[in-house]
This record gives sequence, structure tokens and C-alpha cells, in this order.
Amino acid sequence: MERFAVLVPVLPVVSAVLILLCLRRHRRWAARVSVGSLMLALAGAAALLVHYLITGRAAVVDAHGVFGSLWLDPLSLVLWVFVSGISLIVHIYSVRYMIEEPGYSRFFALLDLMTAVILFMVSAANLLTLVVAWFLVGVILYFLLGHDHERPAAGRYAFWTQITYRFGDLPLWLAALILVHCYHTLSLPVIFARIQSLPTRAFWGMPVTEVTGFLLALAAFARSAQFPLHVWLPYTMDGPTPVSALMHAGIVNAGGFLFNRFAPVFEHAGWSLHWAFAVGLVTAVTGSGLMLMQNDVKRSLGYSTMGQMGFMVMECGLGAFPLAVFHLIAHGFFKASLFLGSGDVIGDARAHDDVPPDPIYTSVVERQPAKPSRLPWLVAASLTVLVPVLVLSLSHFFVAEHLFYEQGVVVLLFFGWVTGAQALFAAHKMSKQNPWRLMIGILASFVVVVIGYTLISHYFSQFLYPNEHESLMLYQAASIHRVSFDALVLVLAAIFVGGWTLTFFADSLELGRNLGGRWRALYLGFYALLSRELYVADVYERVSETLLQWSRRLNVWLRWC
Amino acid sequence: MSMGWILAAALFLPLFPLSLAFNRLVASLPPGLAQALAVLALPQCGLGLLRLAPPVSALPVAVRHWGMAWAVLSAFLYAFRTLSAREIGVWTRLLLSSGLALAWLGWWNGTPLPVLEVLVFGWTWPAAIMLWLVGALVRRLGGAYAGLQGGIVRVMPRMAASLTLAVLALAATPVFPAFFATWRTFSPLLINWVPFLLPLLFFWGWASARLFQDLLFGRYRGETVPDLSRGSALLMNLLLLASLILNFYPNGVG
Repeated sequence: MERFAVLVPVLPVVSAVLILLCLRRHRRWAARVSVGSLMLALAGAAALLVHYLITGRAAVVDAHGVFGSLWLDPLSLVLWVFVSGISLIVHIYSVRYMIEEPGYSRFFALLDLMTAVILFMVSAANLLTLVVAWFLVGVILYFLLGHDHERPAAGRYAFWTQITYRFGDLPLWLAALILVHCYHTLSLPVIFARIQSLPTRAFWGMPVTEVTGFLLALAAFARSAQFPLHVWLPYTMDGPTPVSALMHAGIVNAGGFLFNRFAPVFEHAGWSLHWAFAVGLVTAVTGSGLMLMQNDVKRSLGYSTMGQMGFMVMECGLGAFPLAVFHLIAHGFFKASLFLGSGDVIGDARAHDDVPPDPIYTSVVERQPAKPSRLPWLVAASLTVLVPVLVLSLSHFFVAEHLFYEQGVVVLLFFGWVTGAQALFAAHKMSKQNPWRLMIGILASFVVVVIGYTLISHYFSQFLYPNEHESLMLYQAASIHRVSFDALVLVLAAIFVGGWTLTFFADSLELGRNLGGRWRALYLGFYALLSRELYVADVYERVSETLLQWSRRLNVWLRWC
Repeated sequence: MSMGWILAAALFLPLFPLSLAFNRLVASLPPGLAQALAVLALPQCGLGLLRLAPPVSALPVAVRHWGMAWAVLSAFLYAFRTLSAREIGVWTRLLLSSGLALAWLGWWNGTPLPVLEVLVFGWTWPAAIMLWLVGALVRRLGGAYAGLQGGIVRVMPRMAASLTLAVLALAATPVFPAFFATWRTFSPLLINWVPFLLPLLFFWGWASARLFQDLLFGRYRGETVPDLSRGSALLMNLLLLASLILNFYPNGVG
């Protein structure tokens, strides 16, 4: 069975070659071949996953060389099904969406190549294959984003993406070369086995796992749009919508994949995980904050993805690696459906310029309560704060009690509590004629979602990491000193409670209108900072202009020779 | 005398500052086939001269390390300068000079000459195709400046496709020999050298993305010109694909 596995990533390559060589003028056939090959790839990936579930045996398909070996472990197989599934949806959507675009056949060939490269990347069994596939994703994405070559904006933002990806490739290259230098092989399974047998090996005076963990995390940050390497993501909307969907649903998740693939390295790289947690947290807050300020649907979705990616990296930083994979899959399907539906939303808004009389819209956009009837304040506050704590704690306690004492799980539960409380608070503000009915409905949904999520994530974790010792090692690597941890939780709690209090008073006392003097200037300055997206893009532009000026001067001095 | 052979080789296998003479010589030739043949042949002459030089292992370690550092600096200088080049012929020569400096790095590090031959071929092959295409562009548009008339995909799709492939091959994109040859040059190096070399990849990628942006994107504003003939485009792309054969000779073709 494993011998045929190579067909899964090769099928889209064959389709791309066939389209480029023979079907450039036969648009319908190009689309049919492309969709057909993806269907076969998805079927093959699903069959291999079922085969693994039956036999429980991971395999390495050796290419008998330094390049092209595949590793059929649970991570690869799950991601094969996910990637080929998302790609198939995008392919089918593109058949009609792109029909009037020039370069229709080329578009499908590039989509096929992109899919093939991602499939190779997630299943690479040796470092060179992984680095090459990682590199090629950036190259092919550049041409997909710049598909409409008559729009200079498409070229400009494809260029930003390309530059950020190239920057992120460098730490991956260095990490790969360090691993090869220290463990004398390109094979990933062998490298991981040697790390387990000698995890304390030093390099440049530091543990080799910490050095490579740091570099791998940096590569993941660039690929998953972590602050301040995020600028390319919200602006890639000038590419075709199917490419946006594929990128936000699949390609941008590569950071989470990289963390999971190199989990044996991160088991011994606690500082890298702490760093990932901090960067992920900053990215989640920044992305979500900037999302709220956008007036463009697609850019708002871009910042939403940035926030989600921040949360995914944060999960990795907490040691919850399988949860990050579960998150990336769930987010992938969710975001693909939003992107592929965004055209309809925009079309509807153009066709009907009157705002629909929707109570949620009235509440969120016009900031007016839909109905004056609400639950008593104390009851609502108690439900908002207590219910998420009880539901989250009990569900996790019954499913995996031993994990309940890990710091990473506690922090995730804390964030779950904050999110749940926010959802209930929002529901309280949108109260209707029968507020109790609404609250009970939302509570019931919350309970179902939390229990479902807990159960699925638990069994998914067992599937991805059958050796539970490995999961525990990751949680322990992500742990910090008890006192520091307690202080961190207190600080986070203070920030969130302070934020809620500020929001409450700002709303009820209309602080925004009554601010005066220095506070108003500070408020406006902060608003300007956010509306310019923290000036990150401006800084990059200034730095690159300065470098280009120096390059020009050198060329003039040396007479262009 | 030994340094004489090395200096003579640096004249043909470009290494700063003798690379200035190499680039001036290539630029003085008529654009097109002549320049393409020159960049194919001259670096091989440089390698031939290196065969006459004493074995690098006979040189003091300090000299070898200085040689390696100089090669890295030369590669950096040219990669950095490529960023602002707008004339495609100049762009090609600068990027080629940057890539060929790595052959010097390999030589000072004791890499066997047959391996260096593959490295040099991996870099010069796409550069030769680029320079040939530059000649074709000059004949059609009167010059080959990126940004002068963007959007050539619409009017010259075959030319655009051939240029794109050649630029990717020249910028050491994986699957093309320059990438694997560069990997093989990096791998046996002392790992301490690698952090200084990796930014080269970034500069090559940046330079090629700038070229694409000015050449492929936007609306074409020039006169209608004929595209590359079907046969020429096929030949160019076949030559580029044929260069992939070099990937099967990690230890040299000799």
C-alpha cells in the first residue's frame, strides 16, 4: 500500500505538466484534468489514512537518494487529507469563478503544482525535501497571487509575500544545516531518534535543540504571519479569491505544521516555546485588534487569519502541539468557506444597498440594543464569569484529568474562559424579548461546543501523538517556574478584567466623547497608530529604500560592472 | 607563480575586483549570442587555470580562510548590487558574478574541481540563456530595461515564460542545478560560515522578485512587437530543462 503513496503528491504534478504541455488551449479539459487528479489524490490520501487506522503502522517510503523520501506518519496522513480536500474545494470553485480570466489553464496548472508541493512538504522524510518544498511554496504562491498581471497592486503584494517568505526560508536553511552537521544525516526519523538518545548535545555553546528550535520557530513565524512579519497577509487579497482561500485555509498554516513536524526538537527547547508563546500572544491580540478597524471584508478576514495564526502559534508555545493541528484544520475549513462566500456577500451588498433589519447588525454595527429587555446585571455577570469556568473545567477534568495539572492546559483553559465569557457577555447585550430563553440557548450551545471540542481534541491528540510521553514532554518543555507562572496568570487576568472594565465604563459613561486634553490626544494618537497598522509596512519600506539607494550608489561607483 | 595562476583564474571566473574586468569584457560584446557564449566559456577557462594552480591544501590555512572570506564578500557585493540593476543584461552579469564567487569559496575549501565544474555550469547555463533572451528583447524593444515597458506577458507570452524560467534557474530556485550545487558547496563548509552565506539567498530572491515585478506586471505601453518564435521558445525551455541533468552528477561529470 505504501508503495503507491507516492502517487498522491505526484498526481497533481502530472496534471500540471499535462495542462502546460497539451491543454493550454483546451480550457474545459484543463479544468477537468486538474479536478480529476485532485479527486484521485484525495481518494488516495483518504485510503492511506484508513490503512493507517487499521494497521497503526507509520512507514517511510525511501526514494533511495537524498531527495524525495516520504514519511507516512499520522501527521502527514491527516494533512494530506486536509490539504487535498481544501485544494479540491478550491479547484471546483475556480472552475466557474475563473472562467472569464485569461490564463485559465495556467491557473489550474499552478494550483496543481502548489498542491503537490504542499503535499511533499508535509510528508517529507528528509530535510532537503522539506527545505526544497518549503522554498517552492513561496515561489509558486508568488505566481498565483500575481495571476492578474495587469494589476500592479497584485504584483506589489505578491512581491511582499515573496520577500517575507524568502526571509523566513533562511532560518529553516540554517536549522537544517545545523541538524545535518550535528547528526550526520538528512533523514528526519534518524535525526529525531538521535536527538532522543542524546538531547543535550551542544552547538555554539548552547543545546543544539534550543538553537534549532529558535530558528525553526522563526521560520514558522514568517510563514504564519506572526508579528512583525505579518504585513504581507492582509494585503494579498489582490490575488484571485480562490488563491486567497487556499492561502488562508492551507498555506499560512505551515507554521503549525513545522512546529509539529519538529516536535522531538521542541521537547528539549523550552526557551523557544516560551518565545513562540509570547510572539503568538502579541500576534493574536494585534491581529484581532486590527481586524476590528478594517472596513474591507477581505482585509478584515486577512487580519482575522493573523489573529488565528497567533493563537495557533501560542498553542504550540504552550506545548499543545496536536491542538494546533486541530486548530489549523478547523480554521482552514472555516476560513475557506468565508473566503469563497465573500464574493456573494459583496455582490449582495452591492445589489441591496439597504442595510438588512437584523438585530445582530443593529447591535454590533449601530451599537444600539436590539431590545431594551435584558437579564438582571448580577445574574448576567455571574453567568458570564462562572459558567465558562465550570463547563471548561469539568469537561477537561473528565476527559483527561492528568493533563489538567499542566501549565499549558491551564493557560488554554484560561483563554477558553475569557472567550466564553466574552461570547456570553455579547449575548447578554443582544438580549431579546425573552432573555432567559436566549441565554439558555447560548449556554446549551456553549456546553455542546466545549464538550465536543474537548473530546475531539483529546482523541485527535492521541491519534497524532500515540506515545503519550511525547505529549507530556512537550507540555513540560513549555512549562515555567511555578511562581512565574502564577504571576503570569495574575497579570493576564488583570489585563482581561481591566479591559472588560474599561469597555464597560467607556460604553456606559461615553468616555470616547467626554475625553479632554491629553487623554484625547493620546486616544487619537493610538487610533492613528492602529489605523496605519502600527507603521510596520512603512518601516519596511523605508529600510528597503535605503538599501536600494546604497545598492545604486555602489553600482554607480563601480560603473555597473 | 602560484598566485599568478590564481589571479589569472579570477579574471575569468569572476572574483572582485578582477570581476570588474570580466563584466566589462562581456558587456563589450554584442548583446545576444556572443555574450551568452562568453559567459559559458570564460568561467570554464578560469577553472582550467585553477587546474594549473598548486593544490589548495598546500597553501597555509590562514591564506585559505582569507580566500574564503574574500569569496563570500565578493558574492555579497554582487548580490547586493543586483538589487538595483534595471538593465536585464547588467542584472544577469551581476547575479552571475555573485553565484560564481561561490565556486571560489568551494575551491578555497578544497572542493574537487569536477564538483566545481557542475556548480559553474549550473550558474552559467541559465545566465547564457538570459543573455541570449536579452539580445532578442533588445532587437524588439530597442533595450532590455525592467520597468520601461511592463506587462510583457500580454504581448510576448513566450518571451515572458522563457525569461521567468531563466530567472528562476539563475536565482538558485530548487530543482534547478544552481540550487543543488550551492547546497553541495554549503554542506561541507564549516557550519560557522553558513550564517554569512544564507543572506545571499535572500538577496537573490529579492532581486529576482524586483525584476519580475517590473517586467511582468502592469500594462504594456510600447508598440506591438513579435513574440519569440515557437521554435526559439521551445529550444530555450528545453535547454533549461536539459540543465536538470546536472542534478544527477553530484560528484562532477568528469
